[in-house]
Amino acid sequence: MSGSAGPGPDRNPSTAHEQDQVEGGLGVRGPGQPPEHAGPAVPAAAPPPGEGPPHGPYREAGPSSSSGPGPQPPAGWIGPAGWTGPQPPAGWSGAPEPQPPAGWTGPPPQGPPARQRLHPLSPALHGAKSLVVVIAGLSWSTLSRVGFGWFVAMVVVLALGASVIAVISWYNTGYQVVGRELRIHEGLLWRRTRAIPLERLQAVEVVRPLLAQLTGLAELRLEVVGGGKTEAPLAYLSVGEAGALRQRLLALAGHPSGATPAAPSPAVPDGAEPPPTPGRPLHAVSNRDLLISQLLTPQAFLLPFGVAFVAVQFLSEDSWSFIAVASTLTAMAGVLLQPVRRVLDDWRFQLARDDDRLRIRNGLLETRSQTVPLHRVQTVRVTWPLLWRVKGWLRLRLEVAGYAAGEADERNRPDRLLPVGDQPTGEMIVAEVLPGVALSSLPLRPPPARARWVNPLSRQILGAGLAEQVFAVRSGLLTRQLTIVPYARLQSVRVVQGPVQRLLGLATVHADTAGGAGAAAVDRDLADAWALAAELTARGQAARNPTP
Amino acid sequence: MSDDAPEVPPPTAPTSPLEPWPDTVRWQSISTDLIWVELLRLAAGVAFVSAVLGVGWALTGSWPFGVALGAAGVFALWRAVTIVRAVRAWGYAEREDDLLVRHGLLVRRLSIVPYSRMQFVDVSAGPLERAFDLATVQLHTAAAASDARVPGLRPAEASRLRDRLTALGEDRAEGL
Repeated sequence: MSGSAGPGPDRNPSTAHEQDQVEGGLGVRGPGQPPEHAGPAVPAAAPPPGEGPPHGPYREAGPSSSSGPGPQPPAGWIGPAGWTGPQPPAGWSGAPEPQPPAGWTGPPPQGPPARQRLHPLSPALHGAKSLVVVIAGLSWSTLSRVGFGWFVAMVVVLALGASVIAVISWYNTGYQVVGRELRIHEGLLWRRTRAIPLERLQAVEVVRPLLAQLTGLAELRLEVVGGGKTEAPLAYLSVGEAGALRQRLLALAGHPSGATPAAPSPAVPDGAEPPPTPGRPLHAVSNRDLLISQLLTPQAFLLPFGVAFVAVQFLSEDSWSFIAVASTLTAMAGVLLQPVRRVLDDWRFQLARDDDRLRIRNGLLETRSQTVPLHRVQTVRVTWPLLWRVKGWLRLRLEVAGYAAGEADERNRPDRLLPVGDQPTGEMIVAEVLPGVALSSLPLRPPPARARWVNPLSRQILGAGLAEQVFAVRSGLLTRQLTIVPYARLQSVRVVQGPVQRLLGLATVHADTAGGAGAAAVDRDLADAWALAAELTARGQAARNPTP
Repeated sequence: MSDDAPEVPPPTAPTSPLEPWPDTVRWQSISTDLIWVELLRLAAGVAFVSAVLGVGWALTGSWPFGVALGAAGVFALWRAVTIVRAVRAWGYAEREDDLLVRHGLLVRRLSIVPYSRMQFVDVSAGPLERAFDLATVQLHTAAAASDARVPGLRPAEASRLRDRLTALGEDRAEGL
């Protein structure tokens, strides 16, 4: 669709180049190994032959993988071992070794596809995660009430319980790719099998929390429309497996009408250093800019006042109890959490384009690498926060159907397109995501002069306009926002007129999209609003059926 | 009408806020029986509130209960008038590629929903609606904000609309 027209002819050479690089970097491999199969070629990971092939239809990881990082070579010890045993059972369809590299995504699996388990270390990771939750849940006041020993005992009991549950759930969880469907089986008492049609896939994310990074694991998250939250988190897989599965799912999910997907880019090789993002790199955000940008947020700006207030209070009341101090510090951390989280989340933010997909990679403690097919982008939102305007910076977000309002925690909505950047960078990225859209020359028109009765200060900022392929709306006095909706992604158009607007002859035009809030052109002249609605409907229709 | 007129002239001059394109769109109104449904709903609510307030007044004898009772009565009268007008104002139109639904008096809304964006169609009828032989058709899209609900349809008309919507939706399906 609109996304396929963009990249120039330099795309394929660049992809091939990346492949060469990675292949060269992992020279340990045998010459016949396809680059995707990052795992099985590393010889140290092979269990001794006495261990035998994995039994049953499940792919069990070699026992060496759970015994700790000691004897293995540091480079990717978990990935290879978790990937597969030395001799894949005949029925295992994931990656038949003798096949050429192209066979990974292309031909259908031979024989019935087997159910695959998650990585055997995942219950341990879930247990560790629940430990944090348990400690946070018990809180400081419990600690002071029951004493340290009992506190530890409670924590241990609860964490043990959680770990046992995690082990049971791991044992009963499996996934398999059948045709163009991913099936996930879970549950011991209430069995549940969820089938996810891959044509409906909106975005794929590989998330690696800190613990998972230390153990070489990753979580794979799929976004489909209709789920209230992220569907089907496969937690955890080994990094190589997650990368390969992502490639495979994306290839299967490919554009139904488009050409065959380009040669799959190499899977993420295991290693301490995060590999370069595959595809054509578009932009990398400098960490210094990111830090400065988060210092220019209200929270960071007002923190000194908060500290001074608390300090004065303590000094005057002379109450230095442990609980008071600890609680204050916790509250303080809560306020600071958002900027700090943003810095941690967006650390080393890299954006790349790989064929018609966007690849976003970011994070310090928890790395995320997200893949969004360009034709799944519903809305692009440009924000100019007040304090950033001195620097001329902006922020870009994208909306994908599936990250809808259901996700309460904003952090789990991976909608960043550019955490911070200057105007030219923003224009370049917008032009890349929405071909033919120039950020600075969008035809925005302000509402009529009488709209100042409803928007006394911001009338000049409000604006809406129909560009060639997108509908753009600008709003916000302090935090200026520009919302760009491609006509092809319009779901419905609404015209709403409140009582005050009726007195003034104004109306608001809403353009609804599947993800996020859509765009609202507020307080247009009534005749203009009808014209806008009619034009949006017609252009949406034309964009959906290019050749009627 | 305004000092800075829009550059794009509207297709046709709107005659009223609720009738944007009079010559291209044939609006269909909904059954006036919906007035009775809504009035009965209002009456039930008002009766409940009045009963509570009346009992409170009788037991305590304090004057605020009386004032509240009076206010409830005035509110009921005002709502009754607006219900009649609101039901008359509710309309829908099937165009070639989209469904138009308009409703609301205080806040006027017009929704334009393309058939091709339809995800599913709901037809529902509560006990009160069934008593008056009415049904509600609602068209859902992938956008949560889309708002295309047509109440007060005769069952035959409701099923005709449902079948037409699903048929058109299948023809032009492109959900996202």
